[in-house]
This record gives sequence, C-alpha cells and structure tokens, in this order.
Amino acid sequence: MQLECQSCGARVEIEADRRTGKCLYCGSPQVVDRPSTADRPNPELAIGFALPPEKALEVARRWVKGAFFAPQSFRKAAVEEIRGLYVPTYLYSAIAHSQYSAQIGENYTVTETYTTTDSKGRTVTRTRTKTKTEWRSLQGLHSIYVSDHVVTASRGIPNDELEAIEPFDFRDLRRFDPILLSGWGAEEPSYAPAQCVELARGEAAAQVGRMLGGFMPGDSHRSLQHSTRFDGEDLRLAMMPVWVLPVRYDPEKPPVRLLVNGQTGKITGKPPKSWLKITVAILLALAVVAGVVLLALEASR
Amino acid sequence: MTDVWEEERGKPGCGRCGSPIEQEDLRCAVCFLPVPANAAAVQKVVARILRCDGCGAALTYDVDAKAPKCAFCGSVAHLEESEDPIDAADAYLPFRVDPATAREALKTWLGSLGWFRPGDLASEATVADLTPLWWVGWTFDVEALVSWTADSNAGARRSAWAPHSGQVPLTVRQALVSASRGLTNDEVEKLARHFDLGSAVSEPHAMQGAAIERFDVPRSSARRIIDRAVLAQAKQHAKQFVPGSRMRKLAAAVLPQRLRTRRYAFPSYVLAYRYRGDLYRAIVHGQDPSCVFGKAPWSVAKILLVVLGSAAALALIGFLIFALSR
Repeated sequence: MQLECQSCGARVEIEADRRTGKCLYCGSPQVVDRPSTADRPNPELAIGFALPPEKALEVARRWVKGAFFAPQSFRKAAVEEIRGLYVPTYLYSAIAHSQYSAQIGENYTVTETYTTTDSKGRTVTRTRTKTKTEWRSLQGLHSIYVSDHVVTASRGIPNDELEAIEPFDFRDLRRFDPILLSGWGAEEPSYAPAQCVELARGEAAAQVGRMLGGFMPGDSHRSLQHSTRFDGEDLRLAMMPVWVLPVRYDPEKPPVRLLVNGQTGKITGKPPKSWLKITVAILLALAVVAGVVLLALEASR
Repeated sequence: MTDVWEEERGKPGCGRCGSPIEQEDLRCAVCFLPVPANAAAVQKVVARILRCDGCGAALTYDVDAKAPKCAFCGSVAHLEESEDPIDAADAYLPFRVDPATAREALKTWLGSLGWFRPGDLASEATVADLTPLWWVGWTFDVEALVSWTADSNAGARRSAWAPHSGQVPLTVRQALVSASRGLTNDEVEKLARHFDLGSAVSEPHAMQGAAIERFDVPRSSARRIIDRAVLAQAKQHAKQFVPGSRMRKLAAAVLPQRLRTRRYAFPSYVLAYRYRGDLYRAIVHGQDPSCVFGKAPWSVAKILLVVLGSAAALALIGFLIFALSR
C-alpha cells in the first residue's frame, strides 16, 4: 500500500500485512492507522518490549552453543541479526461451564492371611494389612472464568512457536497505543477472530481439564472426561513483543529462525540435527548397554 | 448528609460479570474482560508519524525506558497501563465511644471476668496508654456459583469414603476482610459484628491522637486476598450441602458475579493497662462499649486454692469409701 509521509510528503510503500514502515527519503518511522473491520480488528491491548536487544542476543547465543545435537557449523554460527517485531495475537477469555465424569479411587485397608516360610524353614501363617482401591463413579458441574489465553493471529508465527515462548506477564499489559509500534516491526493480523476462536477454546478446554484434575475428590482418579460450553467469549487483538533472530550457518540452507519473548527472554527454535552426532550417541548408548549386560552375565556365572 | 458511596455507584460495571470497574483498570479484575477504550474510530488508512511534544522529532518506543522516548530531547511519553495503587479507605466509621467511656468500659470488663481473676483487678488496674485507631479492612458483596466436590461417609461401601459433587448459588453481603497490621484476625472477628456500616462518612472526624492505618498492599494483592476470602466463604457454604456426618477433601471453584469491594476504616481503642507492674493489652470497640476483650491476669492464689481444695475433697471421698468398705 502506498501512503504519504507526513514528514516530507514522499510516497511511502508499506506492505499490506505490515503496520509499520519507514520513509525511504527522510527516514521517519511510520505507523499505519486504518479503520477496524470484523475480520481485521485494530489492536486494543499490547505488551511493550522490556528485554533489550543485547540481552536477547546473549540468550540466543547461549542457546545456539548449547544445541548439542546440531552440526558444529550451527553451534559456531555468528548470531548477529536481530529484529523486534510486534506479533498480532488474540487474547481470549470466557466463562467455562463444564460437565465432567470420572472414576474416583477411594482407598481402604484389608487384613490378609498368608502362609510363608520362617527362618527355620517352617511353614507359618501370618497376617498383613493391604491397601485396596474402590472405584466409584462421579459426575458433576464446574464453572469458572478462563482468561489470558494467547493465540496467534499471524501466519508468520505459528501458534506452537508462540506457545513455546509463553507465558507473557499480563501485569505489564497496556492499552494499545500506535506509539508503541513506532520504530519497530509490526504485523497486521492474518487471521480473523472467527478463525482463531477454536484454537483459543482448545487452549481454554485444556486449562479446564487441568483444573478438574485437581478438583477431584478421593485418593486418586481415572477416566476423567469433560465437555465444556463457553459463554460470554471475548477475543481482543493484542500486540506481543518478540525478538526474531535468523541464524545463518550454511550458505546452502535456509537460516534457522529463533524467537525470543521480548518481555521475559524465553527462547524457542528448531536447531538442525547432525546425523553423525546422533548416530555416534546411539552407538555409544548401545555400547554402554551391551557392557552392562556383559558385566551382569559375567557376575551371574 | 452526603452519600459516601455516590461515586462508587457511578462506576461502570463489567459487561460480563457486572462487577464495578475501577478507573485504573484495563480489564475487569474478576473475569478479565477488557474495558472498552474511548478512542475515536479511524475513518481511512493513513501513515502517521508520532511526534515528541517537546521538540517535534519523531518518537520511537524505547526498550530501556519501556516507553516512547524522543531520541533528540530524551523526553519520555506516558502510556496508559493498568495501575496498581496502594488503596486508601473510601469510608470511615465514626467513633461513637469517647476515650473516657472506653476507659470505663475497660474497668467494667475487668470487673466482669470472674472469680479466678484478682479481686482488685478492676480497681487497681491503671490505663498506661489509650490509642484511638482507625484500622482498615475490606467488605465485599458477591453473588457466585459455587462448584464443589468432597468425600463423605454418605453412601460409603467398602471404603469409609464416597465421592460427592454439587453446584450451588451463594450470596454474600458485607463480609469483612481485615487489612490491619495492628489487630489479629481473631480480634477483628470479635469486633466485626458490632459495627454500623450505615454510619460511614467519607472523611475521618477530629479525634485527638488517633492513628489511621493504611492498606499496606497494592490493589492486585488486595484482590488476591479478597479472592481467597470469597473462596473461603464458598467452601464454608458448600459444607452444608455435603451429605453425611463426616467429610474430607472439600474442593470448591467459584464463578463470582457482581463482586463489589469497599474499603473501610473501622474505629477501635487499643489500650495498654498496668496491673501490679505488668502490662496487658485490651481492645475496646469504637462504636459499641460493650465489646471489650484482651489479656488479663489470673489469680494464682485462687487457682491454687481450688486445686488444693479439690485434691483435699477427692482425698476425703477416697478415705470415706475406703473406711466404709472395710
């Protein structure tokens, strides 16, 4: 999209999926303001960057060096490129009404009589106390608020990668202000709220499942199942700070992308694998197992 | 008389759970629904440059300042964020007991403690210190849906326990949660039921030497304290629905609605009195002089007399039984 720079009047080219740009002529940072639509809402909330780039680089370099099963070329690669990006996400909250059923284990003790041989070789009868579990069915209702579920609205950052650098600290949540994006990379949402709501419900249902696990009475439980209805659902577009670091380790291969949470410093990435190292590790493990077995056989002779 | 809660009634309610929203909140503190922004709608697509109010240069967000900062003049712009203030009391209950009546109430209480206390306690005790204190606390009203599970002996078979579950509504009105550092929870519980919340005013009246406690915790911590109090009320409420005569492992989940919290300062007197060289502490209610409690000495001589007398009586009975059985 072509817009006019408010500083020098030149035409500014900003990609349609971007929310920020820079004037090529005067270098002014530009932030796009546009009308909100149902499929492409405007951000309402945001968390600002709190982790400086030097710290993010330090975290990434440590992570790259620690990737033991990656090729040496990756572990020695220079991590120098870094870009701060506000990733569009949807923040989900709702009322979760669940119906659950489970088998509840209630322990009880029984006294058993058994025969054994004593130290003099005589057969003797003795008693012992044994704990057994009685399984009882339980059904019930459970209602809570679920909140703070973040799902990606960006095609560029898949949800599993975003999950890997969560959680974000919502105590630093702010009302969205375009000034937050000024001078930083920022994406427009690639997905409409309706496309992300199922993903958010899935995360919320998993949270309900975990809570129900702790809610069950008895000494143990099994076969816990629940079906959850979400009422009063709310999805708001929130911009989350992420450092993106491409690691180039082989001119023949695409760079490995690392993501660092711009607030907490949590990192994720998929390092390449060195099959030679993996093979050597497997062979070493097999050798250790074989050694232990041989020693055991030798000892039993 | 002005309505102390007029401002509170004007606060907007959350669109999902109906709880009042504080001015500083970005999201409802109960159900986390974001509070709508008041920004004007954008009509067309434009590229904006955000400029420094001080020097007019383009502003960028600065990660070290955690705010937009001008690279030229160094000024930092403010961004709206959820604030976490230390609360102050919104309402003060007036003292209805004056210091002289508080002293008299202490004397009356000391004289009513029973035979095992020193006989001259009320007459010999002298008040060493009397501090009028407005201690602080929250009250909350809530309507909630309480889900519960528990084990009880009802329906038990081989095991002594059987699982049960239920979901019940709960309404709580004016439950008090102490924020006082000076009074213990037991002391607050004794004082709580004697206060007239309807007498609240927005400013403390003149009271010589009065201390006013502050809420020592930020609002986010206060909300966690209130949440725990709501959960405790929910568990207490759920108990009556668990069948059987014995229970264990009671768990409750709460869906609160219309949770309204008020911040009060409650009047009380904290007294130190001296009796035969030792200091003791007592509390006199600031609105009801019949509510007095605290520490008081025991009469060791009287207790010894009773113990020895009882031992002598038992010995006499034993001797008589022994003599009669011969």
